[in-house]
Amino acid sequence: MQLDSVLTSYIANLGNNDAKAEEISSDIAKSINSKEIKLIAVIMALKDGFTSEEESSRKNSLRCLSDILERLDKELLSPNEVPVIFEFYKSKFEDDALMNDVLGGFDSLISMKNSSIDMSKDILGLISEKYSNDKYLAAIRYKTFKILEDIYTKFGEKYTNNIELTKLYINCFLHIASGEKDPRNLIISFRLNKIITTSFNNIDEFKEDLFDVLFCYFPISFTPPKNDPYNISSEELKFSLRSSIAATPLFAEDAFGNLIDKLTATSPNVKCDTLQTLSACIDNFGGKLCLQEWLPIWNALKFELMHNSEGGDVGVVLPNQINEDIRSSDNPYILALSVIKSLSSALLNFEISAFEKFYKHIFEELKPNFSNNKDLKQSCTILAAIASTSQEAFNPVIKSVLPLFLTNTSEVSKLKLILMNLSFFFDSYISVYGSSNLKTIEEKVAENSLEPYRDELLMILSKALTGSSDAEVTLRTLAVIQFTKLVKMKGYLTSEEVSLIVQYLTETILTDGNKNIYYASLEGLKVISEFYENIVFEVSLKRMLTLLPDNPSDTITIGSDKLVSKEIICKVILDYTNSRHILVKESICYITDKICNISTKEGTKDYSFLLISTLYSLYENNTTIITEDDADFIKAHTQDSVFKSILQNKSIYEDDLNFSLLSTICFFMQLKCSRKLHQSDFLKYNTLLIEEYQILEKPSRYMILYSKLLSSLDKKIEFHDSTIYFETTAKLLSSRYDEFTDFEKLGYLEFLMVLSNKWIDESFINDFIRWDNSEIPNLEINIWITKGLIMKNSKIAPEYLRRFIELLSDKKIGSFVAKLFEIFVVDIDSFKTYKNVSWSNNIKVLYKQKFFNDVFHVLLGEFKKQSDISLKSNYLTALSLILKHISNTLVEPFLRELIPLILEALDMPNSEVKISALETLIHSSEKNGVLITEYFNSILPLTLKLLNKHSSNIAKVRLLALELLQILAATVPLNYSIAVKDEVLRSLVPILDDPKRIVRRQCVNARQKFYELGQPTVQH
Amino acid sequence: MSEYINENPEVLDDTQLPTRKDEDNELLFNTTGSNSYLDRKKMLLRMDNSSQSQVLQNIDLLDKLFALHHHDTPDLTEDDESIESFDDEDFDQIDAQEIYDLIAHISDPEHPLTLGQLAIVNIDDIEVIDNGNRDEISEVIVRITPTITHCSLATLIGLGIRVRLERALPPRFRINIILKKGTHQSENQVNKQLNDKERVAAACENDQLLGVVSTMLGTCK
Repeated sequence: MQLDSVLTSYIANLGNNDAKAEEISSDIAKSINSKEIKLIAVIMALKDGFTSEEESSRKNSLRCLSDILERLDKELLSPNEVPVIFEFYKSKFEDDALMNDVLGGFDSLISMKNSSIDMSKDILGLISEKYSNDKYLAAIRYKTFKILEDIYTKFGEKYTNNIELTKLYINCFLHIASGEKDPRNLIISFRLNKIITTSFNNIDEFKEDLFDVLFCYFPISFTPPKNDPYNISSEELKFSLRSSIAATPLFAEDAFGNLIDKLTATSPNVKCDTLQTLSACIDNFGGKLCLQEWLPIWNALKFELMHNSEGGDVGVVLPNQINEDIRSSDNPYILALSVIKSLSSALLNFEISAFEKFYKHIFEELKPNFSNNKDLKQSCTILAAIASTSQEAFNPVIKSVLPLFLTNTSEVSKLKLILMNLSFFFDSYISVYGSSNLKTIEEKVAENSLEPYRDELLMILSKALTGSSDAEVTLRTLAVIQFTKLVKMKGYLTSEEVSLIVQYLTETILTDGNKNIYYASLEGLKVISEFYENIVFEVSLKRMLTLLPDNPSDTITIGSDKLVSKEIICKVILDYTNSRHILVKESICYITDKICNISTKEGTKDYSFLLISTLYSLYENNTTIITEDDADFIKAHTQDSVFKSILQNKSIYEDDLNFSLLSTICFFMQLKCSRKLHQSDFLKYNTLLIEEYQILEKPSRYMILYSKLLSSLDKKIEFHDSTIYFETTAKLLSSRYDEFTDFEKLGYLEFLMVLSNKWIDESFINDFIRWDNSEIPNLEINIWITKGLIMKNSKIAPEYLRRFIELLSDKKIGSFVAKLFEIFVVDIDSFKTYKNVSWSNNIKVLYKQKFFNDVFHVLLGEFKKQSDISLKSNYLTALSLILKHISNTLVEPFLRELIPLILEALDMPNSEVKISALETLIHSSEKNGVLITEYFNSILPLTLKLLNKHSSNIAKVRLLALELLQILAATVPLNYSIAVKDEVLRSLVPILDDPKRIVRRQCVNARQKFYELGQPTVQH
Repeated sequence: MSEYINENPEVLDDTQLPTRKDEDNELLFNTTGSNSYLDRKKMLLRMDNSSQSQVLQNIDLLDKLFALHHHDTPDLTEDDESIESFDDEDFDQIDAQEIYDLIAHISDPEHPLTLGQLAIVNIDDIEVIDNGNRDEISEVIVRITPTITHCSLATLIGLGIRVRLERALPPRFRINIILKKGTHQSENQVNKQLNDKERVAAACENDQLLGVVSTMLGTCK
């Protein structure tokens, strides 16, 4: 290595390309480390620079040496070399320009293995005496802190135990730390302060100075500049200052006094910071010191807690939040409570008498509030916060506080207060003893002074819930919530008492019409069922189910005279099982039994319908969580009786809705059952329906049940006769078409769809299907077969679709075919994709998207080509009906081409078409205001026309038209909308007298939006 | 004056305001399909207060499929000129609840609360005289209860209610807004001012006043 040239290159790069310079210096250091060159050679080479007259030259040379030193191995320099170099640096100390590099050199040297304590003493002395921190930049000042830290790392033990050294070190620290403002330096300064206060002995005489050099920064705030290279956050600074203040009990006297002073600050940020610091101090300083200081702290906090501007609204502050991460809270009220909690915990840990003294004082001060009914919430939260510290605190607090307000009263306002106050102490219980869970419901908890009050509490709550009038919503809701809380309290209630509460909640939910109470009770029951599932099943669910009468005309009463409707029971069961997999299986089995039982009787169609739709929702809501085992269990228990009911009970088989819903229920029942049994199930269904009930011989409504069952079966089962069934069905339909009822027809057509989707070969269908026959039965058969093919994205489906589109131009049947287009995209419950079920039907995820892409442009093109108005409308109808079932996101890319068509659709005398067009427009106005604005002047008159008296402008059309107007007012730019404001307002006046209230209301809203256009609003 | 009726009113929660109990018909609007099975649908709504329920949609679907396969449905290209009325539809009478819903959500000019929450308007103090005949004059009387007897904003509140009702009711309605008896020191004066056409018209031409009223009406739903 050519040392001279390398050094020259280093100096040349310095200041221009620092990265390069650094690279060079580290290369040199490497060579020295590997003994290729000697350090002395470097020094000799730089010698001229060191003594140069020019400041920059001296600076560069020394920088070079310091940079190299920094990168040398710590063990490299010998005990003889280190002092020599150190002396050299020392001699440069008074050269101001070199300060940065001298300090850098000191720092590197002190970290070397062969540095000596004398060296460190020299450095500390030099810095204390000859260095003045106000002369240098932050980066240079940083180095002094760094040196101190490294000295501590290296010689820490000696410094902490030797009084002289300690003095020297601390004096030096105080010298460099005072007046520091740079955030990076402050962080290291706080850290050093903490090191001194926590590991140095004999620092008593410095404690005030050390405290002052810290506390003068409190409360610290800092906004990091953009591109801050050190990434220091305000939080980091705050936290580091806080932990240094709280580091040593030596600060206690000063810290408490000063912090209490700061509490009077008005800024909530300062207040929070102070409270958090206070908490940290109490936690660290220990009970003994707190014993001397608690009174002033309490007095300051009391003021904060009682007179806090938010003090009036503290109902939401629950003491058990204190256990959670309150350090990050920014609510002074919660933080103040946490200080109280820290205080009582510190005192308790110190000695019980200290706590007693503290508590007695607070209690005596707050006691009058209970007789004066003043600041009760605040007083209770304070006391509850103390109680939540630990068992030793909980018991005396409860013993002394509860008697103050727990009285037997029937006055509503007093009861309300009692319930609210109790709530805080229940939370304390939970934070001391824990909350119930599945594993611990049998466990008992240690002694607690709330125990003797159990009967009284239950009595008060039940009085509040059952003894007050229904109008007392707040009180009753509170009672429900507190009941729930009682159950949550670990080990507090016996299971008999839990049963009693479940019974109360059940009666309340069934009889109370208020929404709030309904949801509170529902939530209560859900919470309780998490750990007392059995009790809830026995006392609540089973009871509700048995309340359902066998005779539809029977009324249900509970308690003395409270009437309960059947609907509400069904509603509760549904709400209850929904979203949590609790007791679904039990409910399903029970309700199924009930249906089978009551449907044998005359006059039970409506009642059966109610229960069947409940059962349907139970299945539908819970499809994802019903497991294979559940499904097998349910099927084994209920399928036979369900079949029997469908086939024999008049209330079901004579009623289209009941029949169809229960058949779909059979679909759900089979869907998730063990697939091993699907083949044998299939044979069983064939025996029953094909052979015994002969559904292929003559029109029968049982075909609906059969086609639902086949939908649910595994598509891989052996189905030899599928083509025969297919042909027979089609033949039956077309030859005896007029004998079918609409309902039966649907079953057979759906069956054809299931077959074409799951089992029939495409080539077979191709041979079978006939396009030359445009009789209605044949058209219907073809359309359903095609539906089955479309859903599996069959490659023959597009050809079939093309044929149907051709038929739209047929004068005779075109309009009928147009309506049939809806069938392609309509969703049938037994033909949807269900999560985790892939074996039932062939339904491709994006089949609708593909279908829409396939037909959209063809329909659009044909529409444009067609000149006959009546035929034109067929394309429009087909497209509108399809659009109704296609998600709006799929339509968006086609909007621009679609809008002219939609505008024509608005003018069609068919309400379904209008509704579809309006829905698309409403959606596009929300998403694509620019496009709608272009057409605004055409849309507006057409929309207003929809409000005219015309048979196709049914209420829903009018409603949507008004909705569209309201949205237009908000999306279209003012210069468009203001121009038509008066016209719209005038045109809407007659609609204010519309027969339908909901239309009138929407009209008022739309008019309001137009009135507001361009009007100034005054901000409060 | 401590016995004053609406002093320190208990502020009601929005859910506690009186509402129409039977909204089944309105929910059914969101379902398609004809009127068949209407009773069944109502039954479902009593159970599950939403038009989104699968059962309901399933019934609608069945209904629609029946209709599709029933091919004597009216021809689409029916004569466009056949003007009909909606008289075959049931008429929902305009009643006190409807008026209440219109005005209860107006904000108080002083508080961030609504007139309904402050019990300034109450459903029992609204009277509707309407025989449903659209050719006859009908009348609405709203009695308002200011929160304090010397409430200087009573006229402004009254104006807000009037503007709202004039915008929302058909023109055949005459609107009367008066203070409830014994609720204001200068009851007669305020009543006169509230129902003086000239003054109301003048007030509506004052842009700043109209701005205040607009803000009050901004919370209506």
